[in-house]
Order: sequence, then C-alpha cells, then structure tokens
Amino acid sequence: MSVRPLAMRAPASPLHDRPSARRLMDLDWILLISTLLLIGYGLVTGYSNTVEDRSFTGDVGQQLLRAILYAVIGLSLMSLVAFVDHSWLGTLAPLIYLGTLGLLAVVLVIGHSTLGATRWVAIAGSKFQPSEFAKVFMVVVLAKWFADHDVRSPLTLAGGLALLAAPVALVYKQPDLGTSLVFVGIFFGMAFMAGARLWQLTAIAAAGMAAMPVIWANLKPYQQARLTSFLNPWADAQGAGWNIIQSLIAVGSGSLSGKGLTAGTQSPLGYLPIAESDFVFSGLAEDLGFVGAVILFVLYIVLLLSALRIAHRSRDAFGTYFAGGIAAMLAFQIVVNVGMAISLMPVTGIPLPFISQGGSSLISICFALGALQAICTHQDVGSSASRASPAAHGS
Amino acid sequence: MLDQGRVFVHPRRLTFVAIGIVVMFVVLSVRLWDLQVVHGAYYRSLAEQNRIVRIPVLPDRGVIYDRTGKLLARNDPGFAVSVIPVDLPKAQEADVASRLAGVIGRGVDEITKAIDDQRTRNPYEPVKVSDQPLTRDAALLLVERAELYPGVSVAADALRYYPDPTLYSPIIGYVGDINAEEYAAHKDDGYLLQDTIGKTGLEWEYEKYLRGTLGWREVERDAAQRELRTLGLVPPKPGNDLVLTIDDKLQHLLAAELAKGVQDGKWTAAAGVAEDPQTGEVLALVSVPSFDNNAFVTGVSTAQMKAWNSDPRHPLVNKAIGDMYPPGSTFKLVTGLSALSTGVATRNTIVNVNSMVLSVDGYNFYDWRAHGPLDFIGGFANSSDIYFYTLGGGNPNTGFKGAGPDAIAKYGRMLGFGAPTGIDLPGEASGIMPDPSWKMERFGEPWTIGNTYQESIGQGYVAVTPIQLLNAYSAVANGGTLYRPHLLKEVKAPDGTVVYQQGPEVIRKLDVNPKDLELIREGGRRAVTIYHAYMPDAKLPFAGKTGTAEFGVSSGADALGRQELSFHNWFVSWVPDRANYDPTAHISMAIFLYDSSKSMCDVCLNPAVGITQRVIETYEGVSKADASLP
Repeated sequence: MSVRPLAMRAPASPLHDRPSARRLMDLDWILLISTLLLIGYGLVTGYSNTVEDRSFTGDVGQQLLRAILYAVIGLSLMSLVAFVDHSWLGTLAPLIYLGTLGLLAVVLVIGHSTLGATRWVAIAGSKFQPSEFAKVFMVVVLAKWFADHDVRSPLTLAGGLALLAAPVALVYKQPDLGTSLVFVGIFFGMAFMAGARLWQLTAIAAAGMAAMPVIWANLKPYQQARLTSFLNPWADAQGAGWNIIQSLIAVGSGSLSGKGLTAGTQSPLGYLPIAESDFVFSGLAEDLGFVGAVILFVLYIVLLLSALRIAHRSRDAFGTYFAGGIAAMLAFQIVVNVGMAISLMPVTGIPLPFISQGGSSLISICFALGALQAICTHQDVGSSASRASPAAHGS
Repeated sequence: MLDQGRVFVHPRRLTFVAIGIVVMFVVLSVRLWDLQVVHGAYYRSLAEQNRIVRIPVLPDRGVIYDRTGKLLARNDPGFAVSVIPVDLPKAQEADVASRLAGVIGRGVDEITKAIDDQRTRNPYEPVKVSDQPLTRDAALLLVERAELYPGVSVAADALRYYPDPTLYSPIIGYVGDINAEEYAAHKDDGYLLQDTIGKTGLEWEYEKYLRGTLGWREVERDAAQRELRTLGLVPPKPGNDLVLTIDDKLQHLLAAELAKGVQDGKWTAAAGVAEDPQTGEVLALVSVPSFDNNAFVTGVSTAQMKAWNSDPRHPLVNKAIGDMYPPGSTFKLVTGLSALSTGVATRNTIVNVNSMVLSVDGYNFYDWRAHGPLDFIGGFANSSDIYFYTLGGGNPNTGFKGAGPDAIAKYGRMLGFGAPTGIDLPGEASGIMPDPSWKMERFGEPWTIGNTYQESIGQGYVAVTPIQLLNAYSAVANGGTLYRPHLLKEVKAPDGTVVYQQGPEVIRKLDVNPKDLELIREGGRRAVTIYHAYMPDAKLPFAGKTGTAEFGVSSGADALGRQELSFHNWFVSWVPDRANYDPTAHISMAIFLYDSSKSMCDVCLNPAVGITQRVIETYEGVSKADASLP
C-alpha cells in the first residue's frame, strides 16, 4: 500500500513556486554537465556528418546553425522547466494525455511522409515530430497514474496499459514500429521501478508473447524482414540485410580510434541509410572508433544513473516514477539504436538521444531533463524545510 | 535522507535497473570491441571494397591485314550491357530483367539466368547480358534512366567486323562471347565473363597476339553506384595486328572462279589453295560454299545454324584443310616418285599401253585410253593409269615388279600425306596414307594387288586434303623441301613495329634423288605442253598434274543424262620462272572441284585447269608473263 508523502503544503501549481539562487545550487550538476556534453557531442558529430556527406548540397554552416538553434531551444526549455515545481506536470497529466492523442491524430491527418511513414508535421517551416514528445508525455501520464493508484494491483497495470493503448495504436499507424516499442519499454521500466508485482509483469509479458503470432501476422513484410534480418544479415545481403551489413562495415572499419571526424566513407557515400538519425551511431563509430563510442557510453551512463538517483531522492511518487520513466525511455532508445547498428537488435527506426539530428527528439529530451532538474531541486517538502530533516517527512 | 515514509521508492529495484543499465553498456562495448578492434581490419577492407570498385577495361582486339595491307578484320564501335549482380538487389532482379529485355531485345529468362549464374559464381564481377551490340540510342536510354537499372552498366564494346565475310570466314574464323569452358580455361589469363574470344580460324589460332591486355579503372563510387571520381587507371594494352601471307587480289580471283561454278551448277563445292613453294607462305585459301562470319559476332539464329549444319556441302568446314578426298591421278606423283626412288623405274622405263584394260587375277583395271608405248615423262604427262598400275603394283603378266604398297606409303608420308601439314589453322584433317598393316588393322583383311593398283592412281583408301596435295607438289617444285604452310606473315604492335616475323619452317628435306624430282617437274610441264592439261595460249610456263577422282556408286546415267560415275576434278600446278624444269617456281596452286561431274560430258575438259590459267595469269599480269615465255 502506497502512502502519499506529506506534500500538501506544496500546492501543485506552477505559480506557487519560483526559481531562486538556492534552487540553482540544488541543481543536479552532474546531470547538467553530462547533458551539455552530450548535446555538444551531438553537434560535433552532426557537423562532421554534414561535412563529409558528398551528396549534401545545402549550406553546411546553415545546417550547423540549425542544430545549434535546436540545442538553444532545448536548453532554454530545460531551464524553464527546471525552475518550476514538477508537480504541475502531474496536475496537468490528463490535459497532456489528451494533447498527446490530439497531436498524434493530427500527424495522421495532415502529416508529411518520408520513406513511407507519416511522422512529422511542418510548423513554421520546421519539421515537428509529435511522436518524440508523445514519449515524454506518456512518461508524465504513466507516472501520474502509478503515483495515484496502487501499483501492486493488477487493475493499475491494466489501466496503465489501457492509457498506453491509444497512443501506441496511433504511432503504430504512422507506421512507427520503433516508437510503439519504446512505449512498451517505458511501461515495463516504470511499472518495475514503481514496484509492480513481478508475477503480474511477467504475466503481461507472457500475454504479449502469446499475442506475438497475431501481431506478427499484422506486420508489413518489410517490417517482418527488418525484425528478423539481424539474425543473419548475410542471408539477403542485397535486400533486407543490406542496411545491417553496411552498418557493421561502418562500425567495424572505425577500428580502435576511428577514421577521424569527417573522414568516414560509409556514411557520406550513402552506404548508411538514414545516416543522420537511425544509423547515426554507425557513422559516429566509423569516425571516432571504439574510443569515441565508449566516451559516448560513459556520458550516457552518467546521465542515466543521475536520473535514477533523482528518482531515488524524489520527494514524491510522481517524481520518482517520472525520473525512472525518463531513464527507462532513454536507456531503451539507446540500447535499441546502438544494438541495431551493431546487429544485436532488430532494425527499428528509433533516434539515438542527443546524437541523432532532429529538433523534436532533442527538445523533448531537454524538456524531460528539465523536469528531472525540477524534481531534484524540489526534493524538499516545503520551500524552507531542511532536506536533511526526517521530521519534515512525518507520516 | 530517505525515510520510511517514502515507500514509493524501491531502492533495490532502482539499483537493479542501474546495474542493468551498466551491464547493458558493457555488453554493447564488448560487441563493439569485437567489431572494431578484433575485426577492424576486416571491416576496413570491406569499406574499401564498397568505396572503390575496379572496373575492367577491355583492350581493343588486334586487326588483321592481308600481305598488301588490306584490312580483313576490324573493330566497329558498339555498346555492351553488363550487370554486376552484387549491385542489383535480388528483389528488383525480375523487374530490371524485364525492363532490360525490352531494350536489348533478349528474353527475360535468358537475362535472369545470366545474372543468377553470375551471382553464384562471382557476384562482384560484371556479366555481359546483351548478346548483340546496342545502338547508341538504346545505350543512352539505359544511362539516362540509370535509377531504373541498378547494377546495370553500359560500356563501349568494339564489335568485330569482317568486310569480306564469306571469302575469309574459312581462314579468319570469328570471335564470340566466351563460354563457360573457355572461361574456365582462360580466366587466369585475365579473361572476364563479358569477354569475347576467338572461336575458330585465325581468330582462335592467334588469340594470344590479337587479345591484348586487360586494363583497370579504380573508381570511387557511392551506394547508388554513381561513379564519383577515378582514383587510378591501368590502361589496357591493345592487341597486336596480324599481317597474313594471303594476297587479297589472288584470293578474290580464285574465289570468284570457284563460286561461279557452284552458282552455275558445274560443281557443288570447291576448294583452292595457292602458296609460295619456296617458303610455304599461303597466298590464297578458298573454300566454297562458306558462311557469314559476321553473323557469329552478332549471334547466329538457331534456324541459320541448323541450315548450315544440315547442308551436305558443309559450309562451316574449311574444305581446303578440314575435309579429305580421293586425290585421283594427282597421286601419281607419289607412285612415280616411289618407283623412281626404289629403282623400279627410270626415265626410260617403257610400258606399252596397247589396251585400255590390264587384267590381273581375273580383275580388270582400266585406262582412259590405249596410249601405246610410254616412258616415264609420257606416262606422267598423259596420266596413263596402266603405266602407273605397273610402276606401283607391277605386272604379273610381264613379270614387271612394282614399287609396292609399303614404298608408296613411305614416299607418300615423306611428301606429307597421312599427317596434318601443321598449317596455322584449327581443324586440319590428316588424310589417309594406307599401307598393308593399316588395312589389316582397319579392316582385318590382307592387302591385295588391286589395292595397290587403285592406290597407284589415287583411288581406293587413299585420301588427301587439298593443302596436303599442294604442299607435296610444292616440295617437288622447289627442289625437295617440304615446308609447313602458314598464313601468318608477321605480327605488328599497334605502333607498327614488327614483334614477330614468321619465317619458312622446314618440315623435312625429301630423301630422294633431285634428278627424280626434276623428272616429275618435266612430266608436269609436259602435261601442259601436250595440252593434256589444256591451257591454250598460256602466257606463263605452267606445269601441273590433273586428277579425276571417282567417288560414290555408279548407278548409270540419270534422267538428265549425267555421267554414270560421280567424280571430282583436281588440278595441281606450279609456275617456274622460266620454261624449264628448274626448281624455281614462285607460285603453286591446287584446285579441287567437288562433284564436278554434274554438268560434265565425256569430252569436256578438266575445268580446274582453265581456272588455274585464268587466275594465275590475271594475278601475275600478262606483260610480265609475256617476257618469261620461251
């Protein structure tokens, strides 16, 4: 049975609480630094990708400026969110949920298509990919749901799944199998960290496995091929296995220290499909080698563990679940994206956090990390209570 | 800082997730280590293979000239379509093949099969899918719509062209697309599956000179197979040119006469060869009917191939070297030389041919007339059969002892019969030079005197090719040296420098008395001067030996009144510098007319004689001939 923390005196209103110098000191600096480094890493590799792309005809400087602009927007949003009490997110969860569904529906109606999938809408001349925000928003919604209900009850889990069903269906319809899977990953990660009974999770997973044949039959042939070709890409080296093999060649040819920034050949010569997003890791590993990849991994680990520490320290269940959910979301995306590039995972179009180019992914992540900072700076119940005082948390 | 109240935090689960995350990254790192550090070099080479493609550049094939510099085989520009299977996704193969079929005019199945075969063999190497050269427009269509044709490349592909196809096809042969067996045999010599190769004739014989050396172009390209830049070029080395011993003028003159007779129905097929007896250089080599060798370059239809193969006149066979026939009276050279060399006969050996029949053991052996008494020269010049029956097999009635079959075979082989001459062409027949042991082996029967008689006049088992017969007479005409006949005069590099010169090659010196050879030369000259070989108003001192070889079964006169026996006509000749018997001949010629009995009557002359006179006199020019006449 979950006991709500004594948080009544901190009303869930964004107007009630304001940033202050103390808050600045309370920021999770390790999280912030790793975030900045990852954004910087993404800018550098993105620039390198653009420079070496021999078929790129646009202005390299403009491309870089655009990436910097996204970073600035993301960081601004992050600062804004960081100094507002995260509780308002929970309060607004129902609205956020409806907004998410609305956005995803809009994509299907007026969205633009690339490579057979309708994933983005044009806003002020920029591509805007609602499904990236939908992932973060669903973490908000699920965190609120788990915080407000007894997560040990099967009904809570069922309710969570029901909440997920609509966005998963809408995203799947785009079709965006990858993002649909991220939703599933988020659900299990959050339910686990929220303390759901393992047998219930196992049952859900088993039910999912049992439903696999049905789901499989409903997948399009190209989706089926992508999901299985990683098992033996050489079986159809010219067809379904092509992307994976070319990615392996890119990664492997990077060797220990890489070919150097802008010196790769696989990505610029067009052998890497969607080199700026889905297969961006392959280009990074080709340019910067094993060393560059491990540096990226270390940054990711620091960021993810920081998120978990925030979850651990949150003053309320919503904060804990939200932070855990964001960690699960990022970890899932990273593992699937990198795993795909090195043929450990099926091919699914999931962007690599911070590294893949595209504003929606970066800005939505910045938003989430801002919320994490907010959770960190609002650990205490009440604005003046000492964090160290157990008395503040009387039951 | 955590208290009991914060039950929503599950530290163990968070810890578990944290450990899970770390483990996950460790797994990814291990995999990366394996890919990048352990197998880095391997993948780096694959990346280079991706980036850099080596495109073979085919060399220009050498061309072929006659001895006067006339072009007999050249290369015309055309375009070939190839597919690199590795660049053509399997899923698109059917679409691309059906699109290609429309452009290159070939069946979808054939194209698909070619690609699939190559896919299993070596998918990185282009395979030629066009079986005939493309026009510029069709080639441009493929290049412009390249996105519809992944893996398809169009390259300039010179097309072999023979300006005088039927005249030279028996000599030059033709080139064609390399087949599986040829590829297997030649791939180590730098041949590709899209290559052409000499299939027969001189194109086959001198492939090594004509071929040239493959070049390579190293190209950086992107995944869409667009060539971005050339990184390196090893230019191909063009093949060397051949200069033949053939004189196009003589070739034309001879072929025109032989073909006209076929056209007029005087004979069904014919062969003619002329050479320089002093060197073995072949000056003309004609076989009619022949075939269009250009058709083989662009692809022969099945119907055409069937027609050629079923034609009883064997247009695909070079009848001057590839088929053998009874030599008839021309073989009296062998009988006579063996009788002279074994001492059975001398110039003054007289045989009184007072009857047209020689009866031995109850069998009758006929002559074409009762000549009366003949010496060797008279016997040879008049081509008396009974004279040579006697020299070859003896006469039991008079006790005259002939040279015998073993001596005839010995001198026959010395003159080159029963073995290929070694002319530089594929498909030469050996002919048959029989002897008693050959008959025993072949038929299990002992040799009879009748066999010797028949052999003595070039009938029976003996069979020769026109080139063998000519070469034997050339050895007589030059005073006793048997040369290997050859068509190659020299090999020239593209810049004109001579890289190889074919000199005379002696097969053997005849082990005979030169005086005996002079007797043959005198007999041959006499045949012309007494008009046995009828050459009215000859402007050159021709000498020669006629032959009429019977073949087939006599079935009486047919409805058109044709002769009972079918026969071929021969005339072998040589032209000495002066009207004497010195071994100075500069040209010798053998003409063979197959089934020339078709329009012949009893009194008609051997048409090969007239052909010889007309051809050589026209070739040499009358003015020069006038000066040398006695």
